Amino acid sequence: MTTNDPTKIPERDDYLWDGSGAPDPEIQRLESLLAQFRQDTRPLALRHEAAQGGLPFLRFWQKGWVPLRLAVAAAVLLALGVALLFLRQTRNTETQIAWNVATLAGGPQIGAQTISATDVNAKLLVGQTLTTDSTSRASVFQDDLGEIQVEPNSRVHLLRSGPEHKRIQLEVGTIHAAIWAPPTQFIVDTPSATAVDLGCAYTLQVNADGSGTLRTTLGWVGFHLNGRNSFIPAGAMCLTRPGIGPGAPYFEDAAPQFREALHIFDTSDPSSEAHTQQLAVILAQARAKDALTLWHLLSRTRGPERAKVYDRLAALVPPPNGITRDGVLALDRKMLDRYWDALGLGRISVWRMWEQPTAPAS
Amino acid sequence: MNPPLDSSAPDATLVRAAQEGDRTAYGHLYSRYARMIHGILLARVAPHHVEDLVQDVFLRALPKLPSLRDPAYFPGWLATIARNRAADFHRHAKTDLPLDAEASAEKPATSGKLVTPQTSHSEARAALQAIRSLPEAYREPLILRLVEGMTGPEIAARTGLTHGSVRVNLSRGMQQLREILNRKGSPASEGDL
Repeated sequence: MTTNDPTKIPERDDYLWDGSGAPDPEIQRLESLLAQFRQDTRPLALRHEAAQGGLPFLRFWQKGWVPLRLAVAAAVLLALGVALLFLRQTRNTETQIAWNVATLAGGPQIGAQTISATDVNAKLLVGQTLTTDSTSRASVFQDDLGEIQVEPNSRVHLLRSGPEHKRIQLEVGTIHAAIWAPPTQFIVDTPSATAVDLGCAYTLQVNADGSGTLRTTLGWVGFHLNGRNSFIPAGAMCLTRPGIGPGAPYFEDAAPQFREALHIFDTSDPSSEAHTQQLAVILAQARAKDALTLWHLLSRTRGPERAKVYDRLAALVPPPNGITRDGVLALDRKMLDRYWDALGLGRISVWRMWEQPTAPAS
Repeated sequence: MNPPLDSSAPDATLVRAAQEGDRTAYGHLYSRYARMIHGILLARVAPHHVEDLVQDVFLRALPKLPSLRDPAYFPGWLATIARNRAADFHRHAKTDLPLDAEASAEKPATSGKLVTPQTSHSEARAALQAIRSLPEAYREPLILRLVEGMTGPEIAARTGLTHGSVRVNLSRGMQQLREILNRKGSPASEGDL
Protein backbone atom coordinates (compact mmCIF):
# COMPACT_ATOMS: atom_id res chain seq x y z
CA MET A 1 0.00 0.00 0.00
CA THR A 2 1.21 3.49 -0.73
CA THR A 3 0.78 6.56 1.39
CA ASN A 4 -1.20 9.60 0.40
CA ASP A 5 -1.53 13.15 1.53
CA PRO A 6 -3.51 12.91 4.76
CA THR A 7 -4.62 16.49 4.36
CA LYS A 8 -6.93 15.24 1.60
CA ILE A 9 -9.09 13.09 3.82
CA PRO A 10 -12.57 13.23 2.36
CA GLU A 11 -15.53 14.02 4.51
CA ARG A 12 -18.73 12.01 5.06
CA ASP A 13 -17.05 8.62 4.83
CA ASP A 14 -17.37 7.73 8.50
CA TYR A 15 -19.23 4.53 7.78
CA LEU A 16 -16.53 3.35 5.39
CA TRP A 17 -13.86 4.36 7.87
CA ASP A 18 -15.02 2.76 11.09
CA GLY A 19 -18.68 1.81 10.71
CA SER A 20 -19.90 4.93 12.50
CA GLY A 21 -22.08 7.64 10.99
CA ALA A 22 -24.96 7.08 8.60
CA PRO A 23 -24.78 3.61 7.04
CA ASP A 24 -24.08 3.61 3.31
CA PRO A 25 -26.45 1.08 1.69
CA GLU A 26 -24.03 0.26 -1.13
CA ILE A 27 -21.20 -0.46 1.29
CA GLN A 28 -23.51 -2.50 3.50
CA ARG A 29 -24.56 -4.56 0.50
CA LEU A 30 -20.95 -5.16 -0.52
CA GLU A 31 -20.06 -6.17 3.04
CA SER A 32 -22.90 -8.67 3.07
CA LEU A 33 -22.07 -9.99 -0.40
CA LEU A 34 -18.34 -10.33 0.17
CA ALA A 35 -18.56 -11.83 3.64
CA GLN A 36 -18.50 -15.29 2.07
CA PHE A 37 -14.83 -14.76 1.21
CA ARG A 38 -13.91 -13.75 4.76
CA GLN A 39 -11.22 -15.63 6.64
CA ASP A 40 -12.64 -18.58 8.53
CA THR A 41 -11.65 -19.28 12.12
CA ARG A 42 -9.32 -22.17 11.32
CA PRO A 43 -6.56 -22.40 13.95
CA LEU A 44 -2.96 -22.42 12.88
CA ALA A 45 -1.85 -26.00 12.27
CA LEU A 46 1.73 -25.76 13.47
CA ARG A 47 3.89 -28.65 12.47
CA HIS A 48 5.80 -29.98 15.47
CA GLU A 49 9.13 -29.87 13.71
CA ALA A 50 8.69 -26.30 12.53
CA ALA A 51 7.58 -25.12 15.93
CA GLN A 52 10.56 -26.76 17.56
CA GLY A 53 12.94 -24.66 15.52
CA GLY A 54 13.62 -26.69 12.43
CA LEU A 55 13.11 -29.90 10.52
CA PRO A 56 15.35 -32.94 11.23
CA PHE A 57 17.16 -32.30 7.96
CA LEU A 58 17.93 -28.74 9.03
CA ARG A 59 19.20 -29.92 12.39
CA PHE A 60 21.48 -32.39 10.59
CA TRP A 61 22.62 -29.68 8.22
CA GLN A 62 23.57 -27.43 11.11
CA LYS A 63 25.31 -30.03 13.25
CA GLY A 64 26.22 -33.05 11.08
CA TRP A 65 29.69 -34.33 10.12
CA VAL A 66 31.14 -32.02 7.43
CA PRO A 67 32.18 -34.66 4.79
CA LEU A 68 28.79 -36.28 5.13
CA ARG A 69 27.09 -32.91 4.69
CA LEU A 70 29.09 -32.33 1.48
CA ALA A 71 28.14 -35.76 0.18
CA VAL A 72 24.48 -35.08 0.88
CA ALA A 73 24.76 -31.72 -0.86
CA ALA A 74 26.25 -33.38 -3.96
CA ALA A 75 23.48 -35.97 -3.98
CA VAL A 76 20.83 -33.28 -3.68
CA LEU A 77 22.36 -31.31 -6.57
CA LEU A 78 22.44 -34.42 -8.72
CA ALA A 79 18.82 -35.16 -7.91
CA LEU A 80 17.86 -31.58 -8.76
CA GLY A 81 19.63 -31.85 -12.10
CA VAL A 82 17.77 -35.03 -12.96
CA ALA A 83 14.50 -33.45 -11.89
CA LEU A 84 15.13 -30.39 -14.06
CA LEU A 85 15.85 -32.56 -17.08
CA PHE A 86 12.64 -34.47 -16.45
CA LEU A 87 10.66 -31.26 -16.12
CA ARG A 88 12.04 -29.90 -19.39
CA GLN A 89 11.08 -33.06 -21.19
CA THR A 90 7.56 -33.13 -19.80
CA ARG A 91 6.93 -29.39 -20.07
CA ASN A 92 4.76 -29.64 -23.15
CA THR A 93 2.40 -32.18 -21.66
CA GLU A 94 0.66 -29.73 -19.35
CA THR A 95 -2.38 -30.73 -17.36
CA GLN A 96 -5.64 -29.62 -18.94
CA ILE A 97 -8.15 -28.23 -16.49
CA ALA A 98 -11.90 -28.58 -16.96
CA TRP A 99 -13.99 -25.40 -16.87
CA ASN A 100 -17.14 -25.14 -14.80
CA VAL A 101 -20.31 -24.35 -16.72
CA ALA A 102 -23.52 -22.90 -15.28
CA THR A 103 -26.73 -22.27 -17.15
CA LEU A 104 -27.92 -18.68 -16.89
CA ALA A 105 -30.95 -19.10 -19.18
CA GLY A 106 -32.50 -21.72 -21.46
CA GLY A 107 -30.57 -24.85 -22.30
CA PRO A 108 -27.00 -24.30 -23.50
CA GLN A 109 -25.28 -27.37 -24.90
CA ILE A 110 -21.86 -28.93 -24.53
CA GLY A 111 -21.59 -30.99 -27.67
CA ALA A 112 -25.00 -32.63 -27.97
CA GLN A 113 -25.69 -32.59 -24.24
CA THR A 114 -28.06 -29.94 -22.88
CA ILE A 115 -27.05 -28.37 -19.56
CA SER A 116 -29.98 -27.78 -17.26
CA ALA A 117 -30.22 -24.94 -14.79
CA THR A 118 -29.95 -27.39 -11.91
CA ASP A 119 -26.83 -29.11 -13.19
CA VAL A 120 -24.05 -27.89 -10.89
CA ASN A 121 -21.41 -30.32 -12.16
CA ALA A 122 -21.32 -29.43 -15.84
CA LYS A 123 -17.79 -29.18 -17.24
CA LEU A 124 -16.31 -27.96 -20.50
CA LEU A 125 -13.24 -29.96 -21.52
CA VAL A 126 -10.52 -29.18 -24.04
CA GLY A 127 -11.82 -30.02 -27.51
CA GLN A 128 -15.48 -29.52 -26.57
CA THR A 129 -17.80 -26.81 -27.86
CA LEU A 130 -20.36 -24.86 -25.85
CA THR A 131 -23.33 -23.71 -27.90
CA THR A 132 -26.17 -21.36 -26.98
CA ASP A 133 -29.33 -20.92 -29.02
CA SER A 134 -31.50 -17.82 -29.23
CA THR A 135 -32.89 -18.31 -25.72
CA SER A 136 -29.95 -19.67 -23.77
CA ARG A 137 -27.01 -18.14 -21.93
CA ALA A 138 -24.21 -19.75 -19.95
CA SER A 139 -21.43 -18.87 -17.55
CA VAL A 140 -18.07 -20.58 -17.93
CA PHE A 141 -15.64 -20.04 -15.10
CA GLN A 142 -12.45 -21.07 -13.37
CA ASP A 143 -11.32 -19.66 -10.06
CA ASP A 144 -7.79 -19.12 -11.31
CA LEU A 145 -8.93 -17.41 -14.48
CA GLY A 146 -12.17 -15.51 -14.15
CA GLU A 147 -15.62 -15.78 -15.65
CA ILE A 148 -16.91 -15.75 -19.20
CA GLN A 149 -20.58 -15.22 -19.88
CA VAL A 150 -21.73 -16.65 -23.17
CA GLU A 151 -24.66 -14.80 -24.73
CA PRO A 152 -27.38 -16.31 -27.00
CA ASN A 153 -26.53 -17.64 -30.47
CA SER A 154 -22.89 -18.26 -29.63
CA ARG A 155 -20.38 -21.06 -30.17
CA VAL A 156 -17.31 -21.32 -27.93
CA HIS A 157 -14.66 -23.97 -28.48
CA LEU A 158 -12.16 -24.73 -25.68
CA LEU A 159 -8.74 -25.07 -27.31
CA ARG A 160 -6.35 -25.11 -24.37
CA SER A 161 -6.67 -25.05 -20.60
CA GLY A 162 -3.31 -25.48 -18.94
CA PRO A 163 -2.48 -24.14 -15.49
CA GLU A 164 -1.00 -20.98 -16.98
CA HIS A 165 -2.48 -20.64 -20.44
CA LYS A 166 -6.08 -20.80 -21.51
CA ARG A 167 -7.32 -20.39 -25.04
CA ILE A 168 -10.80 -20.49 -26.52
CA GLN A 169 -12.23 -19.87 -29.96
CA LEU A 170 -15.32 -17.73 -30.32
CA GLU A 171 -16.68 -18.91 -33.65
CA VAL A 172 -19.76 -16.72 -33.52
CA GLY A 173 -21.80 -14.83 -30.95
CA THR A 174 -20.93 -12.73 -27.92
CA ILE A 175 -18.98 -13.27 -24.71
CA HIS A 176 -18.37 -11.04 -21.71
CA ALA A 177 -15.03 -11.89 -20.10
CA ALA A 178 -13.99 -10.80 -16.60
CA ILE A 179 -10.44 -12.06 -16.17
CA TRP A 180 -8.34 -11.96 -13.04
CA ALA A 181 -5.55 -14.28 -14.15
CA PRO A 182 -2.22 -12.55 -14.79
CA PRO A 183 -2.02 -10.67 -18.12
CA THR A 184 -1.56 -12.68 -21.35
CA GLN A 185 -2.76 -15.98 -19.85
CA PHE A 186 -6.21 -15.87 -21.49
CA ILE A 187 -6.54 -15.77 -25.27
CA VAL A 188 -9.60 -15.76 -27.52
CA ASP A 189 -9.36 -16.59 -31.20
CA THR A 190 -11.98 -15.24 -33.57
CA PRO A 191 -12.21 -15.65 -37.37
CA SER A 192 -10.65 -12.22 -37.92
CA ALA A 193 -8.38 -11.51 -34.92
CA THR A 194 -7.05 -12.87 -31.64
CA ALA A 195 -7.78 -11.14 -28.34
CA VAL A 196 -5.14 -11.32 -25.61
CA ASP A 197 -6.18 -10.39 -22.09
CA LEU A 198 -3.90 -7.80 -20.54
CA GLY A 199 -5.74 -7.62 -17.22
CA CYS A 200 -9.29 -6.69 -17.93
CA ALA A 201 -12.98 -7.17 -18.51
CA TYR A 202 -14.34 -6.93 -22.01
CA THR A 203 -17.08 -7.89 -24.44
CA LEU A 204 -16.23 -9.64 -27.67
CA GLN A 205 -18.78 -10.11 -30.42
CA VAL A 206 -18.33 -12.10 -33.63
CA ASN A 207 -20.76 -11.88 -36.55
CA ALA A 208 -21.68 -14.70 -38.93
CA ASP A 209 -19.35 -13.24 -41.58
CA GLY A 210 -16.39 -13.39 -39.19
CA SER A 211 -16.23 -9.66 -38.50
CA GLY A 212 -16.35 -8.59 -34.88
CA THR A 213 -16.22 -5.96 -32.19
CA LEU A 214 -14.25 -5.78 -28.96
CA ARG A 215 -15.23 -3.40 -26.16
CA THR A 216 -13.11 -3.07 -23.05
CA THR A 217 -14.70 -2.13 -19.74
CA LEU A 218 -11.72 -2.63 -17.41
CA GLY A 219 -7.95 -2.73 -17.96
CA TRP A 220 -6.92 -3.27 -21.57
CA VAL A 221 -6.88 -5.92 -24.29
CA GLY A 222 -4.51 -6.69 -27.14
CA PHE A 223 -6.19 -7.55 -30.44
CA HIS A 224 -4.06 -8.77 -33.31
CA LEU A 225 -3.83 -10.52 -36.65
CA ASN A 226 -0.63 -11.17 -38.60
CA GLY A 227 1.38 -8.47 -36.88
CA ARG A 228 -1.41 -5.88 -37.00
CA ASN A 229 -1.89 -4.99 -33.34
CA SER A 230 -4.53 -2.91 -31.63
CA PHE A 231 -4.53 -2.08 -27.93
CA ILE A 232 -7.94 -1.36 -26.50
CA PRO A 233 -8.13 0.32 -23.09
CA ALA A 234 -11.21 0.66 -20.90
CA GLY A 235 -13.90 2.75 -22.55
CA ALA A 236 -12.61 2.03 -26.04
CA MET A 237 -13.65 -0.38 -28.76
CA CYS A 238 -12.26 -1.86 -31.94
CA LEU A 239 -13.76 -3.43 -35.06
CA THR A 240 -12.15 -6.33 -36.86
CA ARG A 241 -12.74 -7.77 -40.31
CA PRO A 242 -11.73 -11.08 -41.92
CA GLY A 243 -8.57 -10.79 -43.93
CA ILE A 244 -7.84 -7.31 -42.60
CA GLY A 245 -7.67 -7.73 -38.85
CA PRO A 246 -8.38 -5.21 -36.13
CA GLY A 247 -8.96 -1.60 -37.08
CA ALA A 248 -7.64 1.32 -35.08
CA PRO A 249 -9.32 1.40 -31.66
CA TYR A 250 -11.25 4.47 -30.54
CA PHE A 251 -12.98 5.71 -27.45
CA GLU A 252 -16.69 5.20 -27.53
CA ASP A 253 -17.35 8.83 -26.70
CA ALA A 254 -15.43 10.08 -29.76
CA ALA A 255 -17.30 12.40 -32.13
CA PRO A 256 -19.64 10.59 -34.57
CA GLN A 257 -17.81 12.11 -37.54
CA PHE A 258 -14.53 10.84 -36.15
CA ARG A 259 -15.87 7.33 -35.75
CA GLU A 260 -17.52 7.24 -39.14
CA ALA A 261 -14.40 8.52 -40.86
CA LEU A 262 -12.30 5.94 -39.03
CA HIS A 263 -14.54 3.08 -40.17
CA ILE A 264 -14.24 4.15 -43.79
CA PHE A 265 -10.50 4.79 -43.45
CA ASP A 266 -9.90 1.32 -42.00
CA THR A 267 -11.60 -0.43 -44.90
CA SER A 268 -10.92 1.77 -47.91
CA ASP A 269 -8.14 1.42 -50.47
CA PRO A 270 -5.10 3.31 -49.10
CA SER A 271 -4.50 4.83 -52.53
CA SER A 272 -8.06 6.13 -52.88
CA GLU A 273 -9.15 9.71 -52.50
CA ALA A 274 -11.71 8.67 -49.90
CA HIS A 275 -8.90 7.35 -47.74
CA THR A 276 -7.11 10.71 -47.76
CA GLN A 277 -10.35 12.62 -47.18
CA GLN A 278 -11.31 10.50 -44.19
CA LEU A 279 -7.88 10.93 -42.63
CA ALA A 280 -8.35 14.68 -42.78
CA VAL A 281 -11.66 14.34 -40.92
CA ILE A 282 -10.09 12.07 -38.31
CA LEU A 283 -7.26 14.50 -37.63
CA ALA A 284 -9.56 17.51 -37.52
CA GLN A 285 -11.98 15.85 -35.10
CA ALA A 286 -9.38 14.25 -32.80
CA ARG A 287 -9.27 15.28 -29.14
CA ALA A 288 -6.31 14.72 -26.82
CA LYS A 289 -7.99 11.52 -25.67
CA ASP A 290 -8.07 10.30 -29.27
CA ALA A 291 -4.28 10.04 -29.18
CA LEU A 292 -5.17 6.38 -28.66
CA THR A 293 -6.38 6.22 -32.26
CA LEU A 294 -3.71 8.45 -33.75
CA TRP A 295 -0.92 6.38 -32.19
CA HIS A 296 -2.32 3.32 -33.97
CA LEU A 297 -2.64 5.20 -37.26
CA LEU A 298 1.10 5.92 -37.29
CA SER A 299 1.83 2.37 -38.36
CA ARG A 300 -1.18 2.22 -40.69
CA THR A 301 -0.24 5.20 -42.84
CA ARG A 302 2.71 6.02 -45.05
CA GLY A 303 4.78 8.97 -46.20
CA PRO A 304 3.02 12.34 -45.98
CA GLU A 305 -0.04 10.81 -44.32
CA ARG A 306 2.05 9.45 -41.45
CA ALA A 307 3.70 12.84 -41.05
CA LYS A 308 0.27 14.47 -40.74
CA VAL A 309 -0.77 11.92 -38.15
CA TYR A 310 2.41 12.47 -36.15
CA ASP A 311 2.08 16.26 -36.24
CA ARG A 312 -1.49 16.09 -34.97
CA LEU A 313 -0.59 13.55 -32.30
CA ALA A 314 2.37 15.61 -31.13
CA ALA A 315 0.14 18.68 -30.95
CA LEU A 316 -2.39 16.84 -28.80
CA VAL A 317 0.06 14.87 -26.64
CA PRO A 318 3.62 16.21 -26.78
CA PRO A 319 6.11 13.36 -27.21
CA PRO A 320 8.26 12.47 -24.18
CA ASN A 321 11.92 13.48 -24.14
CA GLY A 322 14.08 11.46 -26.49
CA ILE A 323 11.37 10.83 -29.05
CA THR A 324 12.04 12.44 -32.39
CA ARG A 325 9.77 13.11 -35.34
CA ASP A 326 12.13 11.28 -37.67
CA GLY A 327 12.30 8.30 -35.34
CA VAL A 328 8.55 7.96 -35.12
CA LEU A 329 8.09 8.44 -38.86
CA ALA A 330 10.61 5.61 -39.34
CA LEU A 331 8.46 3.55 -36.95
CA ASP A 332 11.28 3.14 -34.45
CA ARG A 333 9.72 0.61 -32.12
CA LYS A 334 11.37 1.84 -28.94
CA MET A 335 10.13 5.35 -29.61
CA LEU A 336 6.65 4.15 -30.46
CA ASP A 337 6.58 2.08 -27.29
CA ARG A 338 7.69 5.03 -25.17
CA TYR A 339 5.08 7.22 -26.80
CA TRP A 340 2.43 4.63 -26.02
CA ASP A 341 3.49 4.41 -22.39
CA ALA A 342 3.26 8.20 -22.20
CA LEU A 343 -0.43 7.98 -23.11
CA GLY A 344 -1.07 6.33 -19.73
CA LEU A 345 -3.21 3.53 -21.13
CA GLY A 346 -1.08 0.56 -20.07
CA ARG A 347 2.56 -0.53 -20.17
CA ILE A 348 3.34 -1.95 -23.58
CA SER A 349 6.17 -4.08 -22.17
CA VAL A 350 3.54 -6.61 -21.09
CA TRP A 351 2.58 -7.07 -24.72
CA ARG A 352 6.15 -7.14 -25.97
CA MET A 353 6.97 -9.96 -23.53
CA TRP A 354 3.99 -11.92 -24.82
CA GLU A 355 5.17 -11.34 -28.39
CA GLN A 356 8.54 -13.00 -27.74
CA PRO A 357 9.15 -16.15 -29.81
CA THR A 358 9.17 -18.20 -26.61
CA ALA A 359 5.68 -17.03 -25.72
CA PRO A 360 3.24 -19.91 -25.56
CA ALA A 361 0.70 -20.65 -28.22
CA SER A 362 0.92 -17.35 -30.03
CA MET B 1 9.33 -21.40 33.73
CA ASN B 2 7.56 -18.28 32.43
CA PRO B 3 3.76 -18.15 32.54
CA PRO B 4 2.03 -18.25 29.11
CA LEU B 5 1.65 -14.84 27.54
CA ASP B 6 -1.75 -13.23 27.44
CA SER B 7 -3.29 -12.77 24.01
CA SER B 8 -3.49 -9.04 24.66
CA ALA B 9 0.27 -8.70 25.10
CA PRO B 10 1.90 -6.12 22.82
CA ASP B 11 3.20 -7.26 19.45
CA ALA B 12 6.82 -6.77 20.48
CA THR B 13 6.41 -9.04 23.50
CA LEU B 14 4.70 -11.74 21.46
CA VAL B 15 7.26 -11.55 18.66
CA ARG B 16 10.21 -11.82 21.07
CA ALA B 17 8.58 -14.76 22.83
CA ALA B 18 7.84 -16.46 19.51
CA GLN B 19 11.44 -15.92 18.45
CA GLU B 20 12.45 -17.88 21.53
CA GLY B 21 10.16 -20.77 20.58
CA ASP B 22 6.96 -19.87 22.44
CA ARG B 23 4.27 -21.51 20.32
CA THR B 24 1.45 -19.91 22.27
CA ALA B 25 2.83 -16.47 21.53
CA TYR B 26 3.03 -17.33 17.84
CA GLY B 27 -0.56 -18.56 18.00
CA HIS B 28 -1.58 -15.17 19.40
CA LEU B 29 0.22 -13.44 16.55
CA TYR B 30 -1.61 -15.69 14.12
CA SER B 31 -4.95 -14.79 15.66
CA ARG B 32 -4.05 -11.12 15.47
CA TYR B 33 -2.74 -11.07 11.90
CA ALA B 34 -4.46 -13.91 10.05
CA ARG B 35 -7.25 -11.66 8.79
CA MET B 36 -4.76 -9.16 7.41
CA ILE B 37 -2.78 -11.90 5.66
CA HIS B 38 -6.00 -13.41 4.34
CA GLY B 39 -6.95 -10.05 2.85
CA ILE B 40 -3.54 -9.52 1.27
CA LEU B 41 -3.69 -12.96 -0.33
CA LEU B 42 -7.29 -12.56 -1.43
CA ALA B 43 -6.24 -9.43 -3.31
CA ARG B 44 -4.01 -11.65 -5.45
CA VAL B 45 -5.10 -15.29 -5.38
CA ALA B 46 -8.35 -17.12 -6.16
CA PRO B 47 -10.53 -17.45 -3.04
CA HIS B 48 -10.42 -21.22 -2.70
CA HIS B 49 -6.62 -21.23 -2.39
CA VAL B 50 -6.41 -18.48 0.20
CA GLU B 51 -7.12 -20.36 3.45
CA ASP B 52 -4.34 -22.84 2.77
CA LEU B 53 -1.95 -20.09 1.78
CA VAL B 54 -2.63 -18.21 5.02
CA GLN B 55 -1.48 -21.27 6.93
CA ASP B 56 1.47 -21.61 4.63
CA VAL B 57 2.56 -18.01 5.15
CA PHE B 58 2.58 -18.42 8.93
CA LEU B 59 4.39 -21.75 8.71
CA ARG B 60 7.02 -20.26 6.41
CA ALA B 61 7.41 -17.22 8.62
CA LEU B 62 8.01 -19.17 11.82
CA PRO B 63 11.51 -20.53 11.10
CA LYS B 64 12.52 -17.14 9.68
CA LEU B 65 11.28 -15.26 12.71
CA PRO B 66 14.61 -15.31 14.62
CA SER B 67 16.12 -13.30 11.75
CA LEU B 68 13.71 -10.43 12.38
CA ARG B 69 15.79 -7.95 14.37
CA ASP B 70 13.18 -5.37 15.28
CA PRO B 71 9.79 -6.75 16.39
CA ALA B 72 8.19 -3.46 15.31
CA TYR B 73 8.68 -4.55 11.71
CA PHE B 74 6.73 -7.77 12.19
CA PRO B 75 3.51 -6.66 10.40
CA GLY B 76 5.31 -5.35 7.34
CA TRP B 77 7.68 -8.31 7.30
CA LEU B 78 4.78 -10.76 7.45
CA ALA B 79 2.85 -8.87 4.79
CA THR B 80 5.87 -9.07 2.49
CA ILE B 81 6.07 -12.83 2.98
CA ALA B 82 2.38 -13.04 2.06
CA ARG B 83 2.78 -10.94 -1.08
CA ASN B 84 5.81 -12.97 -2.14
CA ARG B 85 3.96 -16.19 -1.46
CA ALA B 86 1.09 -15.04 -3.68
CA ALA B 87 3.51 -14.21 -6.50
CA ASP B 88 5.24 -17.55 -6.01
CA PHE B 89 1.90 -19.31 -6.10
CA HIS B 90 1.08 -17.79 -9.48
CA ARG B 91 4.46 -18.78 -10.85
CA HIS B 92 4.26 -22.38 -9.76
CA ALA B 93 0.61 -23.24 -9.19
CA LYS B 94 -0.50 -26.48 -10.77
CA THR B 95 -4.20 -26.33 -10.19
CA ASP B 96 -5.02 -29.71 -11.63
CA LEU B 97 -7.70 -30.38 -9.08
CA PRO B 98 -9.90 -33.41 -9.47
CA LEU B 99 -13.24 -32.41 -10.91
CA ASP B 100 -15.11 -32.96 -7.67
CA ALA B 101 -12.67 -30.74 -5.83
CA GLU B 102 -13.09 -28.01 -8.44
CA ALA B 103 -16.83 -28.13 -8.11
CA SER B 104 -16.71 -27.93 -4.36
CA ALA B 105 -14.20 -25.12 -4.56
CA GLU B 106 -16.82 -23.08 -6.35
CA LYS B 107 -19.14 -23.16 -3.41
CA PRO B 108 -19.12 -20.23 -1.01
CA ALA B 109 -16.24 -20.58 1.41
CA THR B 110 -18.29 -20.21 4.56
CA SER B 111 -21.71 -21.66 5.11
CA GLY B 112 -24.60 -19.68 6.45
CA LYS B 113 -23.35 -16.31 5.29
CA LEU B 114 -25.17 -16.21 1.99
CA VAL B 115 -28.83 -16.69 1.25
CA THR B 116 -29.04 -17.27 -2.49
CA PRO B 117 -25.86 -19.12 -3.43
CA GLN B 118 -25.93 -19.19 -7.23
CA THR B 119 -26.77 -15.57 -7.97
CA SER B 120 -25.10 -14.03 -4.95
CA HIS B 121 -21.93 -16.02 -5.39
CA SER B 122 -21.70 -14.87 -8.95
CA GLU B 123 -22.34 -11.28 -7.86
CA ALA B 124 -19.80 -11.61 -5.09
CA ARG B 125 -17.19 -12.93 -7.51
CA ALA B 126 -17.89 -9.99 -9.80
CA ALA B 127 -17.56 -7.53 -6.90
CA LEU B 128 -14.33 -9.15 -5.74
CA GLN B 129 -13.01 -9.10 -9.29
CA ALA B 130 -13.83 -5.39 -9.53
CA ILE B 131 -11.88 -4.70 -6.33
CA ARG B 132 -8.97 -6.72 -7.64
CA SER B 133 -8.89 -4.58 -10.76
CA LEU B 134 -8.18 -1.47 -8.68
CA PRO B 135 -4.66 -0.12 -8.10
CA GLU B 136 -2.85 -2.03 -5.36
CA ALA B 137 -2.93 0.92 -2.98
CA TYR B 138 -6.73 0.70 -2.91
CA ARG B 139 -7.17 -3.04 -3.37
CA GLU B 140 -5.75 -4.23 -0.08
CA PRO B 141 -7.47 -1.75 2.26
CA LEU B 142 -10.80 -2.26 0.50
CA ILE B 143 -10.57 -6.02 0.85
CA LEU B 144 -9.57 -5.70 4.50
CA ARG B 145 -12.54 -3.38 5.07
CA LEU B 146 -15.28 -4.95 2.92
CA VAL B 147 -14.32 -8.63 3.03
CA GLU B 148 -12.44 -9.11 6.28
CA GLY B 149 -14.63 -6.65 8.19
CA MET B 150 -11.74 -4.68 9.66
CA THR B 151 -12.27 -1.01 10.44
CA GLY B 152 -10.02 1.72 9.15
CA PRO B 153 -8.26 2.16 12.50
CA GLU B 154 -7.68 -1.60 12.69
CA ILE B 155 -6.21 -1.62 9.18
CA ALA B 156 -3.91 1.24 10.11
CA ALA B 157 -2.81 -0.54 13.29
CA ARG B 158 -2.13 -3.83 11.49
CA THR B 159 -0.42 -2.42 8.41
CA GLY B 160 1.56 0.30 10.14
CA LEU B 161 0.17 2.99 7.85
CA THR B 162 -1.16 6.26 9.22
CA HIS B 163 -4.87 6.78 9.72
CA GLY B 164 -4.80 9.47 7.07
CA SER B 165 -3.26 7.22 4.45
CA VAL B 166 -5.65 4.36 5.08
CA ARG B 167 -8.63 6.69 5.10
CA VAL B 168 -7.69 8.30 1.80
CA ASN B 169 -6.98 4.95 0.17
CA LEU B 170 -10.29 3.54 1.37
CA SER B 171 -12.22 6.55 0.20
CA ARG B 172 -10.60 6.82 -3.22
CA GLY B 173 -10.74 3.08 -3.73
CA MET B 174 -14.42 3.03 -2.86
CA GLN B 175 -15.06 5.86 -5.28
CA GLN B 176 -13.39 3.95 -8.10
CA LEU B 177 -15.19 0.77 -7.12
CA ARG B 178 -18.55 2.52 -7.29
CA GLU B 179 -17.72 3.79 -10.78
CA ILE B 180 -16.76 0.31 -11.95
CA LEU B 181 -19.82 -1.34 -10.47
CA ASN B 182 -22.10 1.34 -11.91
CA ARG B 183 -20.53 0.89 -15.33
CA LYS B 184 -20.94 -2.86 -15.18
CA GLY B 185 -24.58 -2.36 -14.23
CA SER B 186 -25.30 -0.42 -17.42
CA PRO B 187 -23.36 -1.97 -20.29
CA ALA B 188 -22.89 0.02 -23.46
CA SER B 189 -25.33 -0.43 -26.30
CA GLU B 190 -24.34 -2.64 -29.21
CA GLY B 191 -26.44 -0.69 -31.69
CA ASP B 192 -24.01 2.05 -32.55
CA LEU B 193 -21.56 0.07 -34.64
